[in-house]
Amino acid sequence: MKGDVEEKMELSESSHGEEDYGPTVAKRAKPEVVPETHGVLRPVKLSRGELYKPPTAEELNQLKEAESLFHCSLLKMQMEELLKEVALSSRRKQQIDTFVQNVTELLQTVSQTHVVEISDLSWLSGGVKVPFLLVPKAAKGKFHMAPPVSVSVIGSYPLGTCTKPGICVDMAVTIPADVLHPKDALNQRYPRKRALYLAGLAQHLASFPSIGTMHYSCLHGNRLRPLLLLTPAALPEDYVLWTPAGFFRPSRFHPQRNNVRTDWYTGVRSSQTETAEPPTPHYNSSVLGDMLPMSHMLFLSAVSSRCSSFADGVALLKVWLRQRQLDQGAGCFSGFLGSMLLAYLLNSHRVSNTMTAYQLLRNSLHFLASNNLTENGISLAKDPDSTAPSLAEFHSVFQVVFVDPSGHLNMCADMTASTYKWVQHEAVLSLQFWDDPTVDGFHTLLMTPKPMIRTADHVFQLCGLAQLQASCKKLNLLNELMDNSGNYILTALPFILSLLQRGLGERVQLLTHSLSPDPEWSVDSEAPMHKFLPPLSFGLLLNQEQAASVLERGPPADSSKAADFRQLWGSLSELRRFQDGAITEAVVWEGDTSSQKRLVPHQIIKHLLLLHADIPASCVRYIGGMLDDVIKPGRKVCSTGEEECLKVVQSYDDLSRKLWRLEGLPLSITSVQGAHPALRYTQVFPPVPLKLDYTFFDQNKMSKSLVPLEDKPCPVYITPIKVICQMEGSGKWPHDKLAIRHIKAAFHISLGELLTRQHRYTCQPSATHLDVWKDGLAFRIQVAYHREPQVLRESLSPEGLLIIRDNEEAQALEMTTIHQPLLTSTLHGLQQLHSCFGAVCRLAKRWLGAQLLSDDISEDTADLLVGFLFLQPAPFTPPGSPQVGFLRFLHLVSSFDWRNNPLVVNLNGQLTAADYTEIKNDFMASRESLPVMFIATPKDKKLSMWTKQSPSVQMLQRVVLLAAESLKVLENQLMDASLKQDIRVAMRPPLDAYDVLIHLCPRQVPLLNQAVDTPHVTFSRGTLDVGVPKAGQAMPVIDFNPVSLYLAELRDAFGDLAVFFCDPYGGTVIAVLWKPKAFNPLPFKTAQMVARHVKVTGEEALTVPNVEAILEDFRVMGQDLVKSVELRTEKWLV
Amino acid sequence: MAPSKAKHACVISGGFTVLSLQFSTESTAQHNIFVKEHRLRAEKTPQRPLDRTLFVLNIPPYCSEGVIRGLFSQFGPIQSVELREKPGSFEHSTSKLAKYFTPARKRVFRVGYIVFQKATSITAAKSHPHDVPLVVSTEQRPVRTGLKKWIHQYKESIVQTDKMQEEVDAYMQAYDKRKNEEANQQKKQAEEQQEDEEGWVKVTRGKSGAKARPHSEMANQKALQKESRKRKRKELMNFYTWQHRNTQKEHIAELRKKFEEDKQRIALLRAQRKFRPY
Repeated sequence: MKGDVEEKMELSESSHGEEDYGPTVAKRAKPEVVPETHGVLRPVKLSRGELYKPPTAEELNQLKEAESLFHCSLLKMQMEELLKEVALSSRRKQQIDTFVQNVTELLQTVSQTHVVEISDLSWLSGGVKVPFLLVPKAAKGKFHMAPPVSVSVIGSYPLGTCTKPGICVDMAVTIPADVLHPKDALNQRYPRKRALYLAGLAQHLASFPSIGTMHYSCLHGNRLRPLLLLTPAALPEDYVLWTPAGFFRPSRFHPQRNNVRTDWYTGVRSSQTETAEPPTPHYNSSVLGDMLPMSHMLFLSAVSSRCSSFADGVALLKVWLRQRQLDQGAGCFSGFLGSMLLAYLLNSHRVSNTMTAYQLLRNSLHFLASNNLTENGISLAKDPDSTAPSLAEFHSVFQVVFVDPSGHLNMCADMTASTYKWVQHEAVLSLQFWDDPTVDGFHTLLMTPKPMIRTADHVFQLCGLAQLQASCKKLNLLNELMDNSGNYILTALPFILSLLQRGLGERVQLLTHSLSPDPEWSVDSEAPMHKFLPPLSFGLLLNQEQAASVLERGPPADSSKAADFRQLWGSLSELRRFQDGAITEAVVWEGDTSSQKRLVPHQIIKHLLLLHADIPASCVRYIGGMLDDVIKPGRKVCSTGEEECLKVVQSYDDLSRKLWRLEGLPLSITSVQGAHPALRYTQVFPPVPLKLDYTFFDQNKMSKSLVPLEDKPCPVYITPIKVICQMEGSGKWPHDKLAIRHIKAAFHISLGELLTRQHRYTCQPSATHLDVWKDGLAFRIQVAYHREPQVLRESLSPEGLLIIRDNEEAQALEMTTIHQPLLTSTLHGLQQLHSCFGAVCRLAKRWLGAQLLSDDISEDTADLLVGFLFLQPAPFTPPGSPQVGFLRFLHLVSSFDWRNNPLVVNLNGQLTAADYTEIKNDFMASRESLPVMFIATPKDKKLSMWTKQSPSVQMLQRVVLLAAESLKVLENQLMDASLKQDIRVAMRPPLDAYDVLIHLCPRQVPLLNQAVDTPHVTFSRGTLDVGVPKAGQAMPVIDFNPVSLYLAELRDAFGDLAVFFCDPYGGTVIAVLWKPKAFNPLPFKTAQMVARHVKVTGEEALTVPNVEAILEDFRVMGQDLVKSVELRTEKWLV
Repeated sequence: MAPSKAKHACVISGGFTVLSLQFSTESTAQHNIFVKEHRLRAEKTPQRPLDRTLFVLNIPPYCSEGVIRGLFSQFGPIQSVELREKPGSFEHSTSKLAKYFTPARKRVFRVGYIVFQKATSITAAKSHPHDVPLVVSTEQRPVRTGLKKWIHQYKESIVQTDKMQEEVDAYMQAYDKRKNEEANQQKKQAEEQQEDEEGWVKVTRGKSGAKARPHSEMANQKALQKESRKRKRKELMNFYTWQHRNTQKEHIAELRKKFEEDKQRIALLRAQRKFRPY
C-alpha cells in the first residue's frame, strides 16, 4: 500500500519535470504527441515553421552543449531522468526531517543510570540484548547510561547524495565523555561500551511507538561497530544510529600499534612487552573510524558546496556501484568511499568544479581504471601531522589504501585486493562501452544489474562457514584473528584468495568474492554468530585459452622454484619428462572431454582448499557445469557433445574435399557450404555415427533402401545434414525455372553415381536433394545455381517489359542456398573464437524446445541471439562458460526492449557506427510493418529476414515471460544450496495454459531419449552398439519422424483454428491452444467453412468449429501415434 | 430457416444440404459436409457441366479423390472428381510434370467438384438424410492414416534413379526443342528486317516479346537516375550567400529535430518507467 502512494507521488513529479530542459524549446513544442498509448515510437514531425524559426542564443547554446559534450543529447537526458528517479522528493524529505527531529528529542531524554561494571548487564531490561559478540567474556571497566552530548545527522542525507531505494539516514549520537575512559581504546573496551550504549538507547526508544520497528545491524559487516536501525511504520526508510565519539588521540591508532593484547584475547598470560605485540590495524581503524564521521562530514560538505554537481555525480557513481553489487557488505566500495573519491579528484584538480555529473562519473571511472590503489595508495590529507603514518606504512598492513583527510585512517581498511581489482575491472569495461558508439552506454553503465552468477563464468560457494575456523588454525592466523576480533571469515578470506590466485594462476583473469552482507537482527535477540552468515561465493572470470588445460607445468626439477611448486600442489606434483626434453615438475588433471576440461578449476580449488585450508570438498559447492546434463548426447557418455560435433564437422570436411575432387561432372563445383546447425557446433543433440540392425527394417529391393516396419517401434531418427553445393554458372543453364529444376535433379543423379563409383558411398537422389550415407551420418546435398532466385523473380508483362518482383519462392530459395550457408560459416568462425559458443546455443535451444517455443524462435534466430551475447557482451565480458551464457541469454530475451529497439548482431564486426544509426532510423521509420522481434545483421539491415515468419506478438510476449521466470528460478536454484530441487525445473513447461493435450505413445517417438527427464522405458530402435559403420550398404531410413509429420499435418489442417506446440527433443505431449477468434460464431460463408458445423438459430445460420469432430480427427490423423487426447478446458463450448 | 425439402435432408441458407461424414463406423463424432449443385454464371467449361456437377464444401484432409469417388458413387456413377484448396474456376492441372517435380499437396480441408454421369444423381445426393453419415474408411476400402500412412509415404518417396533420369531427359529434350524453335523464329524475323537487294526493309509490327532482348524495368529506372545525378553534379552548392545561410539553417533544424526525437523517446521511456535502475 505504501508503494502505491509513492508511485503516484513520483508520477506527478515527473510531469512537472517536463520543462526542465530547454525552456525555449519546450514551450515551442506542441502539446506532447501522446505516444504512451501505443508505446511505439513514431518519427517526429515538426512543422516547417518550427524547424526553421530563427534560434535564440539560449537555444543555440543548449543544442551545442548537448552535441559537443555527449555522443548525443539522449545520454544527457537519460542521466537527468535517472537522477530524478533516484532523488528524494521534497515531501519525502519533509517527512524525514520531522522524524529526525522527533528521534533527536527523544534521545535527549535518556535517563542517567548507576555506574556498573561492563560485564554487568542487569540494568538492561525489557528483552533488549547487547549487539555484540562478547568473546572473550571478561572485560574491565565501568559503564553507565547518560544523555548524549549531541545528536546530528551525518552521511549522505545532509549532503544530498542519498539515493533511492534503500534510503538510509545516518544519525550520529555522541557518547558523553564521562562514560568513557582514556584507556578504553584497549581490548575492545570502547566497542563494548558503544554496544552497551546502543542497547541502552534501544531500550529507551522501545517505549515509544512512533519509532516503529528496531533492528541491530553493523557497519559494513564490522561487528565492532554495531548500529541501530529504526524503521518507522509510516515511512519505509531506515534511520541509522551511530555512536561516535571524538575522544582518543588519533596517534594511538597508528596501523602498526597494538590495541588488543594477546593475553587478554587468548586468556593466557605471557610476558610480552607492548612492542612485541602484533599490530592490530583493523581494530585500530574501526575504533578510529568512530571518531571521525563529524570531520568527514564537514570536509565533504565543504567540497560539495564548491562543486554544484557533486551530489549528482555521487548519485550516479552510487547507482553504478549498486548495479555491480559493490556497495554493500564487508569491505565494500560504499557510497561514502565514492564521495571521498570524488572529493579527492576535485581536491587534486583532476576534475574541475564546473563539470557536470556526467563528466564527474566519467572521470572517476577513468581514475579507478588507471590507478591501482593496492600499490599506490592515495591520501586526502593535505598536511598530515607528524604522528600520522606514511602511505608505505599503510601499505604494509592493508591491501587497499585510501587515507582520509585527517591522515590517520585508511578508509579502505577492510577491502580485499580482489575487490578493488574487481572495481577496477568494472571501470575499465565501463569506459570501453562508454566510448563505443555502437553500444547503448546509458543502459549498460547504469541500468543493467550485474549479479555475480551472471557476471562470473564459474561460481563456487563455501558452505559451512564454521569450517573457516579450522582453516584459520591451519593457516596460523591467530594474530589476524585477534585483529579482526574473532571474525574468522574476514580473517581467512584474504589468505584463501591469495592461495587460489596462486593455484589458478593464468587460468583466471580475475577472482572475485561476494561481500558478506550486513547481518540484521532484532533488538531482543542475541547477535548472530559468524557461521550463520550466508555462504561465501567466489566468482571466476576465466581465461579462455588456459582455463581448460589439463596440465600444470611447473619449474624444472633443479630450479629453486621447484620447492615452492611442490609445496603448493603437495602430493599431486610429480616429475615429468616432456617432448622438448625438459624434465619439470608438473600436475596433470583429469579430463577427457571438453566438458570435463572446463571443470579443471573445480579440481584445483577442491585440492588446494583441502590441502592448505582444511576445507573438505563437501563444503565447496561448485556452480559451473550444473546445466550440462540436459545437453548430454547419451546416457553413458560424460561429455556435452563438443566431441560429437567435431566428428560431424570432420566427416563433412572430408565429404566436401571429395566433392571438390569428383571427376566427370559436366560443370565444376564452385563451392560446397554447410547449412546445418550441426556444422556450426550448435545442434542441440549433434548426430552420432550409427550402425544399423538390418533385421529391424523392411528393404526396398529396387533401390536398396531400408523402410520402417509397421509393427516395430519407430526406428532411430537420422538427421540429414544439409550441404549446399553451388555449381558453376554457364551458358548451358536454361533460363526457365522448371528446366532449372530438372537440370538440378540430373545433377543430383550424376553426383550420386560419381560418389558411389569413386568413393563407394550409398546415395539416394531425389528431385530436390541427394542423400549420402557416410561414416554413419547422413548428408543431404542440394545443388544450387546462383542465378535461380533471379530467374524466379523475373516475369514478362504482356507488353514485353521484363518485371522483377520479389516473391516468397525466391526468398525461400535464397534463404536456403545463400543466407543459411553464410550464417553457418560465420557462426562456425565465432565458435573458433569462443569455445563455448556452441554449448550456449545448444542450452538456449534446449530450453526453447523444452518450453515448447522452438517453432516460434527458429534455430537460426536463437543462434543469432546467442551470437549477440558474444559479439556485444556489454556490460559483461564474453561468456566463458555455457552456464553463464545461458543465463545471459535468458536475461537478454526477457529484458530487451523489442518494441522500440532493433537488436543489431554485428557479425564479423562489419557494421560501423553509421550503420547502426542507419539501422535504427530505418527501424523507427517503419516500426509497425516490421517483425516484432527485429534482428539486423550486416547482410540484412532492413528486413530482419530471420524473424519475419515468427514469433508473433503474443508468442514473443510469452517467450519474454517464460524467460524472465526461468531466469529467476534458475538463479535461485544455482545460488541457494538449501534448495534441494532439481536444476531441470527451468526446463519443465507449464502445461496448464493449454486447451487440449495430445499424449503420444513413447514407442513411436524416435527422439524419446533426448527428453529433459530421462524416460523410464527405452525401446530398441534398430541400432547396433558395436562396430564401425562400413561403406556400401543399404540406405537407412532418413528424416523419418512421425511426431513432426503429425504436427505438420495438424498445422496444415487446423492452423486457422488452433496453435500446436511440441518439444522437438523427445516431447511426448502436443499442446493445443484454440484461437479465440476462430470460435466466434460466423455467418455461413463458402470460403470459411473449415471444420465447422452449422447451428441454426431463428433466422440466422451461424457456424462454429466442430470441436468434437476435430478431436476425433486428432485421433484419426495420428493413428498408432496418439495415445490419448486430453481436454483441459471447456472453453470451446459455444 | 431449416425447412427440410426431403424427409430427413437438412438444408441451410445458400441452398446447401448438410451431410454428415465420419471416419469409420466406430467414430463418435461427425463432420458436416455441405453439398450443392454447381451453379456459376460466368463459368462454362466442359469439365464442369452445370447440371451434373456437385459442389462439396469442407472435405477432411484424409479424403482423397478416390475416397470421395467411393463415397459418392452410391448416388450414381461418377465421371470425375476434382479437389481443391479454395473454390475457383477450373484450371488445367499442370500435371504434365512427373511426380518427382510436383510439390507435395497441403493436407487441408478442401472443396470438391464432383461430376456425375447423370443429373439425377445430384438430387439423390442432396436428399440424402442428415442422420445417416457417410463412412470414409470401411473394411472394403480402408483409408490409411497416421503411422501406416507415413510409412507408406516414405516408401513412395524413395526415388528410382533410372526412372527419374528418363523423366529429366524427356523434359529437357522437349525444352531444347522448344527453345530451338523460338530461336529459329527470332532468326527468321531478324532476317526479314534486313535490307533486301534493293535497299527495302520490310517493317512489321513485332509481336510482343518477340524482341531479342526485352526491355526491363530496371533499365528504365537506371536511365532516370543517371539523368538526375547528372543534374545534381552541375549544381554549385556554396556559390550564393543564401545557399550558405540555408545550410546553416538546415543544420540547426537537424539538431532541433534530433532533440525533439530524443525528448519523445525519453517521454516514452519515462511512461514505461524505464529509468528506474533497480
